[in-house]
Amino acid sequence: MTPDAGRAIALSLEGISYTYPGSESPALDGINLDVRRGEIVFVTGPTGAGKTTLCLAASGILYHEYGGTLNGAITILGKSARDYRSMAEIGRHVGVVFDDADAQLIFSTVEEEVASGLENLGISREEMRRRLRQVMEATGITDLADRAPHTLSGGQKQRVAIAATLALGTEVLVLDEPTAELDAEATGAVSALLRRLSGEGTAVLIVEQKLGAIAAIADRMLLVEGGAITREGSPAQMIQDGLTKGGAVRPTAPAAVPPSEAPPIISVRGLVHRYDGVMAIGGLDLDVAPGEIVAVVGENGSGKTTLVKHFNGLLRPTKGSVFVDGLDAATAPVATLARHVGLVFQNPDTMLFAETVEGEVAFGLRNIDPGDPGLPVDAALAEVGLLHRKAAYPRSLSRGERQRLAIACVIAMRPKVIVLDEPTTGLDARESGRVMDILGRLRYEGHTVVMVTHDMHLVENYADHIVRMEQGRIVRDERTYGEEPCPKLCSTSPLRAPSTASTRSPN
Amino acid sequence: MQYVTLESAFHRLHPLTKLIFAVVVVALAVLTSDTVMLAALVGAVVAVAAAGGLARDLLRQVPLLLSLAVSLLALTVLTIRSGDTLGYLVPPAVPVIGGAFPVTAGAVDLALAMSLRFAAMLFAFQLLVISTQPRDLVHVMDHLRMPVDYTLIFLIALRFIPSLQLEGKRIHEAQLARAYNPGRGPVGRIRGLFPIIIPLVSNSLGKTTVLGLTIDLRGYRSGTRTPMRKLAPGRADAAGICCMGLAVAGYLAVLVV
Repeated sequence: MTPDAGRAIALSLEGISYTYPGSESPALDGINLDVRRGEIVFVTGPTGAGKTTLCLAASGILYHEYGGTLNGAITILGKSARDYRSMAEIGRHVGVVFDDADAQLIFSTVEEEVASGLENLGISREEMRRRLRQVMEATGITDLADRAPHTLSGGQKQRVAIAATLALGTEVLVLDEPTAELDAEATGAVSALLRRLSGEGTAVLIVEQKLGAIAAIADRMLLVEGGAITREGSPAQMIQDGLTKGGAVRPTAPAAVPPSEAPPIISVRGLVHRYDGVMAIGGLDLDVAPGEIVAVVGENGSGKTTLVKHFNGLLRPTKGSVFVDGLDAATAPVATLARHVGLVFQNPDTMLFAETVEGEVAFGLRNIDPGDPGLPVDAALAEVGLLHRKAAYPRSLSRGERQRLAIACVIAMRPKVIVLDEPTTGLDARESGRVMDILGRLRYEGHTVVMVTHDMHLVENYADHIVRMEQGRIVRDERTYGEEPCPKLCSTSPLRAPSTASTRSPN
Repeated sequence: MQYVTLESAFHRLHPLTKLIFAVVVVALAVLTSDTVMLAALVGAVVAVAAAGGLARDLLRQVPLLLSLAVSLLALTVLTIRSGDTLGYLVPPAVPVIGGAFPVTAGAVDLALAMSLRFAAMLFAFQLLVISTQPRDLVHVMDHLRMPVDYTLIFLIALRFIPSLQLEGKRIHEAQLARAYNPGRGPVGRIRGLFPIIIPLVSNSLGKTTVLGLTIDLRGYRSGTRTPMRKLAPGRADAAGICCMGLAVAGYLAVLVV
């Protein structure tokens, strides 16, 4: 008998199978799961395994808001989810953080956002203010109180969404990838907060791809694959002896390439950028050598995305200079810079609009060369492993495939520099590995890769050059060529590049 | 168009006072087609905004209003012939088609009146939105016994305006980064819409389910709300209502005379 066995069951799923409307195969297949009061259950698994559907089931949403075929029983605090009158009634007991933070932010200031749910609880104003202050401090958003939520960075939005849910003080929390875009410090703060809440009796079901701080505080870990729970155990045990066999594989690392003797392909001097008078970048210098993989890291809102948007002219310096591949990025047209710098946005859905995968890749090629774009399209799709999906509708692809398609759209244009904003967010380790392998190959071919990321595993395993930003300034700028982060893997990697690779032109 | 965090006199007014202000301006704008009266109404709204330090936010709408005015003028000139002829789109000296499309005083008047009316309504609504937190508006609408669904529609509409603007900008940037250059001018603008509209609509529709669920889970259908801030009308509200009463009386008196 485990120590938790004496605690009451807060959430129970018995024999849950679910098929979405219009789908032929079940998204969940025979799920049996109990979450007790005060327990943190951590769920992980590959992209498309059914983790989000599991969250929708556990919070009763499948009963009340979705069609489809649902079999089995869901019990929330001793009462069937079917017997709750509506989601509003369930919401008094279950707090849900969805994986799309943006869609959960309704109001016009952060404080208003967090306070909005409190005002509907029927508690005193004093209690509201106390909870508001407490949760904003715990999630580190006190200084954002007057900011408009839609102007925040992805990680900041996620913190606000978490705070708005935690403020409700529900007995059960269902959290779908709540820390995907958070830096290590913010993730640590959220995990400490969840630990405290579970100590007070809150039942927590949390889905995450990252096996970091959150997994460390969990009482139990589940691996979901193909809509079913395939493994279960303590987090430490599962991480140590076998989770990697179940699909959550850490990517292999390519070899580090020594820095080139060639002049920098990106040269930034005295860069200052202000948004409506607010300082986003406060004067920084940076050189990027051709052929290196650069990781730009830092806390949410530290100016990482603002910096890389200067490389292709989407943002122009308020002061200072940015030169990319010999072009003055402060004045060159974006369309001209796009031939030299490709930018893959964090969310691939930001760019996908064509009827077919092939059409999507051809769009960029036609913009730079209206001739027949046939061959580069196939080559780019083959590079990212999507040639067989050439005729598919882009938005019907899985999240990982859409991310690879976004990369294909950029690499088809053969830019010397490829910039990726959070290239692996929302992807499981296997898909992350595929993306990083692609980037490794591109670097081997002579491209320079700049990635904005929070994933320190990627940084450790892949980056030749680490740039850490804090409050719009670079606080660390160092190269790691002398280090061999993964000697065993690197020594057998087919991606090991000759020392001359970094100076080779991608064209 | 979104709430602007500011400590202005207009911000400090009770949301109901601001709502009444917006409704009064809309009503007065509808009551007349007199361009002088409508211009005076627009001037009064801008003056109120200037007094509250919000004029700059209002004036951001001027390009939109000008393009609307030009479109309305083109429409009325092509479809209405009333009053004195002020000139011709095609000068009479041009052979064969000279004198076509006369520009009449009635057409210009109507275009001007519609543009001013729209400007007054837009400015009044914008003043309300940029100076009032959405949850305060929700509380006021609750007090007015508005059905919760209408209140939520209003709330979601307010939330979507800045979000759509931002998402549209993000998508536009993503396509620019793919060397997309639809060109300038109206043709370029129309061509440029296609790769933006599809992701914008798809992404926005994709968010609606989560948005609706979030509203439900935060208890916005419970109907029992306690505003964190006490919203009680003060002297400024009384003074504001009096001023509005006097202005309405004066406006109506001029209209009747």
